[in-house]
Amino acid sequence: MFLNRTVESGRLFRAAIFCGVATMACAASAHFGVAKNNPQNEVSAPHVDVQLLTEQKAIQRGHSLWVGLQFQLPSGWHVYWQNPGDSGEPPTVKWNLPTGLHAGDLQWPAPHRLESPSLVDYGYQDGVLLLAPIRVDSTVSPATAVTLQADVRYLACREICVPGKANVALNLPVQSGSATLDSNAHALFEKTRAQLPKPTPAAWRIRAQSMGNAFVLSIATGKSEREGVFFPLDPGEMDNAAPQKASPTTAGIDIRLQKSDQLLKPIAQLRGVVEFGGSRAYEINAPVAESGAQGPSHQSQ
Amino acid sequence: MNARRLSLVAGLTTAAIMLTAALALFAARAGEAAPDFTATDSTGKTQHLADYRGKYVVLEWHNNGCPYTRKHYESGNMENLQREWTARGVVWFTVISSAQGEQGYMTAEQENQYMQQMHAAPTAALLDPSGDLGHLYSAKTTPDMFIINPEGVLIYEGAIDNRATPDASDIPGATNYVSQALTEAMAGRPVSVPVSQPYGCGVKYAH
Repeated sequence: MFLNRTVESGRLFRAAIFCGVATMACAASAHFGVAKNNPQNEVSAPHVDVQLLTEQKAIQRGHSLWVGLQFQLPSGWHVYWQNPGDSGEPPTVKWNLPTGLHAGDLQWPAPHRLESPSLVDYGYQDGVLLLAPIRVDSTVSPATAVTLQADVRYLACREICVPGKANVALNLPVQSGSATLDSNAHALFEKTRAQLPKPTPAAWRIRAQSMGNAFVLSIATGKSEREGVFFPLDPGEMDNAAPQKASPTTAGIDIRLQKSDQLLKPIAQLRGVVEFGGSRAYEINAPVAESGAQGPSHQSQ
Repeated sequence: MNARRLSLVAGLTTAAIMLTAALALFAARAGEAAPDFTATDSTGKTQHLADYRGKYVVLEWHNNGCPYTRKHYESGNMENLQREWTARGVVWFTVISSAQGEQGYMTAEQENQYMQQMHAAPTAALLDPSGDLGHLYSAKTTPDMFIINPEGVLIYEGAIDNRATPDASDIPGATNYVSQALTEAMAGRPVSVPVSQPYGCGVKYAH
């Protein structure tokens, strides 16, 4: 019914492979180990599940569908956001799709700050579902089923890091009528879509000011925002590990971000994601104005 | 006159001490004086950065359990770089800032055995379980690379190369920033990439 799946993880691996027929998804599971030449550094191997999921039971010619790469990690392990922060590496995917199917970019939910001594990384504790849109040409043959394949590479870390690879696949019939949804998968996809950072409303005013060794990101949403965390999209601009100082303003919030020691040139844009109160996430692309002066002090309360 | 000169010298010495302290606070930055340090190597010898004025010095942050470090060691890439550049007069310090009990922590004996097994060829391996040297340079990852020129100025900090993966198959064809910076600096040219984002595992500092 399904094609063969393979799993690799470098030199040492044991792979167990199964396909979940109900969700029409195939899971690739692997146990990872680390080479034996560092006896004092034996690693307790994490069990990482990578699955390719969809909420639709069939694809429709001429319509897009969402697919998702689901990473399930043991407690305490994490994978990384598109900017991993001070260490780590984001998952990557290489799609292998039949003619007429085209994959769009992975969609990244707002990450968490993962703090360790002197370092802050950005990622997802215990797992994440990374969605991607797939465009289906109207010329795709209606008679056949199609197989979507993805070569996934990722780095899973807790105190230590273990790289992994998974080849996952999904077999779907081509349908001309409206698509039937798998209710469980649909609920999961809906929840995940709701967590994706949204474009900022046009009425918001967003700007950043470069002041000495800091950027002050000002976001005017129209109401005072009590909490806000910024996640930078581009590495090397801000000091990830430095505490962010969020100061509510009457119309929004100011977030003071310490510049990175590695930042040698002015930047024109500060790009990233802001999350208010741990739930509402927005995409930020703030023009940066240079300010020679120290600027106003931003005190909360 | 003499007394005045003495007091001037005393003043300069105080200023120098304060400068060192200030550098320690603001960490190492490409284009600025590299913070001085003393550290104990795996043979028990005390290594003092200032003793190597007049030579290029490479600092390589290391954790032998980290997949990114292993990429460069198990492929032989790091050992080859150590051999190539020490043969050209460069002082190469491997630095281990893993705290005791953390991944990559090595006793002197373990590190000597490891270097022998891997045919590693740094000038010395500095044991920094307190993390003091790591924090002084704000070393973030393993590997994280720093280059100090003969005048004591930091001329490079960041990744070992431009392929931020743990796969050894990515080494051929990668731009090695350390070799590039050393080659350019030794030829009297400006370093084209003086800073890059380091990649790898976080340094396993003491909690």
